[in-house]
Amino acid sequence: MGSSVLSLENVQLTLQGNAGPVPILKGISLNVEKGETLGLTGPSGSGKSSLLMLMGGLESSTGGNISVLGQDFGNLNEDALARFRRNHMGIVFQSFHLIPTMTALENVATPLELAGDAEAFAKAAAELEAVGLRDRTDHYPSQLSGGEQQRVALARAAAPRPDILLADEPTGNLDSKTGESIMDLLFNLRDRHGATLVLVTHAPELAARCDRIIELHDGVLA
Amino acid sequence: MNLRQAAIIARRELRGGLAGFRIFLLCLLLGVAAIAGIGSVRSAIDAGLSSEAASLLGGDVELNFTHRTATEEERDWIEANSTASSEVITFRSMLKARADSDEADLGISQVKAVDTIYPLYGVVELAPAMPMAEAFETRNGLPGLIAHTALIDRLGVGVGDIVRLGTQDFELRAAITGEPDGTLTDIGLGPRTMVLTESLTESGLLGAGSLFESKYRMELPAGANLPALKKEAESLFGDHGMRWKDNRNGAPGISTFVDRMSAFLVLVGLAGMAVGGVGVSAAVRAYLARKTDTIAMLKSLGATRATVFATYLMQIGVLALLGVGLGLLVGGGIPALAIPLMADLLPVPVETGFYIAPLLEAAIYGLLTALIFSIWPLARAVDISPAGLFREVSGHANRWPRWPYLLLILFLASALVTLAALFSGVPTLTLWATFGVVTALIALALAAMFTKALARRASRSRSMQGRPALRLALGSIGGPSFEPASVVLSLGLGLTVLASIGQIDSNMQSTITQELPERAPAFFVLDIQKDQMDPFREAMLADEGTEDVESAPMLRGIISKINGMPAQEVVGDHWVVRGDRGITYASTLPANSSLVEGEWWPEDYNGPPIMSFSADEAAEIGLGIGDEITVNILGRDMTAKIANLRELEFSTMRINFVMVWSENALTGAPHTFLSTVYAAPEAEGRLLRVMATEFPNITAIPVRDAISQVSATLDSLGSAIRWGAGTTLLTGFVVLIGAAAAGAEARVFEAAVLKTLGATRRRILYSFALRSLILGATAGLVALAAGSIAAWAVMYFVMETGFELHWGSAIAIVAGGALANLLAGLGFAWRPLATKPAQILRNRT
Repeated sequence: MGSSVLSLENVQLTLQGNAGPVPILKGISLNVEKGETLGLTGPSGSGKSSLLMLMGGLESSTGGNISVLGQDFGNLNEDALARFRRNHMGIVFQSFHLIPTMTALENVATPLELAGDAEAFAKAAAELEAVGLRDRTDHYPSQLSGGEQQRVALARAAAPRPDILLADEPTGNLDSKTGESIMDLLFNLRDRHGATLVLVTHAPELAARCDRIIELHDGVLA
Repeated sequence: MNLRQAAIIARRELRGGLAGFRIFLLCLLLGVAAIAGIGSVRSAIDAGLSSEAASLLGGDVELNFTHRTATEEERDWIEANSTASSEVITFRSMLKARADSDEADLGISQVKAVDTIYPLYGVVELAPAMPMAEAFETRNGLPGLIAHTALIDRLGVGVGDIVRLGTQDFELRAAITGEPDGTLTDIGLGPRTMVLTESLTESGLLGAGSLFESKYRMELPAGANLPALKKEAESLFGDHGMRWKDNRNGAPGISTFVDRMSAFLVLVGLAGMAVGGVGVSAAVRAYLARKTDTIAMLKSLGATRATVFATYLMQIGVLALLGVGLGLLVGGGIPALAIPLMADLLPVPVETGFYIAPLLEAAIYGLLTALIFSIWPLARAVDISPAGLFREVSGHANRWPRWPYLLLILFLASALVTLAALFSGVPTLTLWATFGVVTALIALALAAMFTKALARRASRSRSMQGRPALRLALGSIGGPSFEPASVVLSLGLGLTVLASIGQIDSNMQSTITQELPERAPAFFVLDIQKDQMDPFREAMLADEGTEDVESAPMLRGIISKINGMPAQEVVGDHWVVRGDRGITYASTLPANSSLVEGEWWPEDYNGPPIMSFSADEAAEIGLGIGDEITVNILGRDMTAKIANLRELEFSTMRINFVMVWSENALTGAPHTFLSTVYAAPEAEGRLLRVMATEFPNITAIPVRDAISQVSATLDSLGSAIRWGAGTTLLTGFVVLIGAAAAGAEARVFEAAVLKTLGATRRRILYSFALRSLILGATAGLVALAAGSIAAWAVMYFVMETGFELHWGSAIAIVAGGALANLLAGLGFAWRPLATKPAQILRNRT
């Protein structure tokens, strides 16, 4: 284990609901070391996905500090956060979130292009081959199965060789067999590229594959 | 199929509200309102013309003669058959501002010489107000004259000034502010001047051979049998150049103009309806995509395809009725409210009301359009299996509907075209317009497909790598979405109509104003007496600015018979036999023409009357050498055989006549001469003053004035049509907004994912803008191509002239298309850019 790449200090998140403010996260503090794999578990509604969104800069905290790779997220605006993700992060979602108007290859190449990589398409093709989708490069998401879509999403997250991989229940929408193969792929990718991995899951057997497991209950670390 | 069940389900479904149908309703509302509005205005004018017919005509009946007054026999018949009658003589002349000055301004005017009974119906409104007798009475030896305000302003004179017509001086007594029988068709060249006929005796204006018309207005006794009177008059005087008008159609010129114009505007409105149809189709497709699960469930629960079809057709029917109803309220209501406020400003009489016929016509068009454009997406949605519906989350099935649905669409479309042809009264134009709209729609649909394929290909090309914003834009155009087709079709069709009108207008304007012959005359001069010809020529050539003077004798007559048969029975409504034509005589072949068949007669020919006829017109009406033409000149029938055919070139603006007779046949008939004067522009003012001073009886028509008059008329017509096309474009813009709104959710998601992947808001906005610009410009380019082809066809086949692409209008169309789509796109870009990714990604499964 090396230095801390992700540091959260008393992080709070309160959302405005119809019936008034709803506290989601109530003072989370934790550090994630470089190269570490961290499993975030907990029951539905415990705040796991919200915590991951904060780590990815996709959501702004309402209290506390978040520092990623030494960069304080509180000092970055939306576009600066986007640039930060482009250069350092890969995110995988439970619902894949592929852009429906783009083919598999284009989906994977997009973050590389956004980072100005001249070899974006060659790297994207190689990444798709690595997840076993060489024959599906020209398919649109609607033409792919759920498992295939998640493999494209994995390739997209891994292609820019991010320092940090964030995965939000990546097998939640898949059957157990497909889910297992996706997890194998995810850990293989992490092992090959040495990225720090934060995995949100409520499946204990998946969390068990991580170096460390943290459990959330009602917005606080258990 | 169980219709009751379908109705119950439809009612339950409609409880969900109309949120997804705003564009559907707006498209139908705009299309129906435009057509209903045009029809309502037409009906209001028709009703106004009908109720004011006698006043507009100046009597219950009008008998019209060219270049002569009525004979004793004709006057006796008029008196015997009327309770009162009035004689009106009209001709063109020059009104001179200050009778005593050689430098005074001159204005060409349509002079109306009337008797003391005029007007039989209605009132001439004068400023200052006074009875007609007072306006015309002789004071201090000067008879009175009244003139239209426009002429008074142009000449810079005032009430009480002395003005001159021909050689007669008059005192200007009042301005004409309203003329009961003065209509749009009378405006022509020069505003109105009115005098008593008897005061013209010494003017020298109504000499032998002068170009004037006489009109005899009759007030009929109650219960007079109009058709029988018409028949009697035509049998007695029809062969002597008498033309009949009666109050069944008091202003046929205006009536025909209004009917033609509104028919044309309704056709433009139908193109707008087709644009609205694209919006209707997109709205129905989007609605059914949201109902995929419901439809699948209904089918799983045992609903037949027909029941599901009926369920959704009923919902669409109810919404279509609502949209059409709103359109009728707007289209029928606005004219009904606005016309009373504007009645005094309109140049024609109007009768305010809520007219049922045009509303019914618009309603039929609206309902048929809604059905035609709804059935396709509806048939596709109900024609696939429940499992397929569940799978087809985004509704992108690319299959054709089954043939019964296609037949139904074809039947409804044919019904729409047939009804439009019947209602418009111009079936050929309607069929051509339909052909144009359908061809444009097909071209646009193909262009949309081609653009998608091209964009897909381009987005994957090597050159796009490293340009993510452009690739994103191209990728989303080429991706599986209906939005590009919707945008290209709706915006494209609106722009096609506008492009064709723009190109036709520009071509017409340039034909008239820029493509004049290099050596165009400065004046056409009418009514030159034979003994004035030599002095006239000398006077004109004495000015150093005069280049040439061409002259020819001129008579006017109506072709009454061809080979002994009534002319109109032989050749129909060809322009050559429609009104009176100029005729000349010559002993040698005139310049500007060449013989194409037959021989020219010897210079000293003295045999039976023969003539030369224009080869083109002879071919059009089926005449050849040896055919006998009878022309009624000043009430006398004169017959001559065609001896030869000549080729003429009218566009040179040199003196040309369709008929040139042998000299011996016409020299005895009273006639005048026509001249064209070629002169430098700076000499025109001097020449006009010489003509007015030395030859007061003649009428000079400045060619420049005539051209600007035609140009101004074209401008007004162009504006009216552009307003009509404006509604088409507005509907197109509504559809664009609909397409942008339908794609907004997808854009929000796309933006959220792109932000997650590291895209800045600027880059996302740039990509959205590029997408809108590319689609808009594509629609503009296809519209320009389709509109230019339509304009070329109109110029080549209808106007029989050349066509040139006018780049100003062309660039405006393409840029306008790109800009319109950019505005619609950017209007919906705010939410995707402002929304935080977590909000979207968290809620979307």
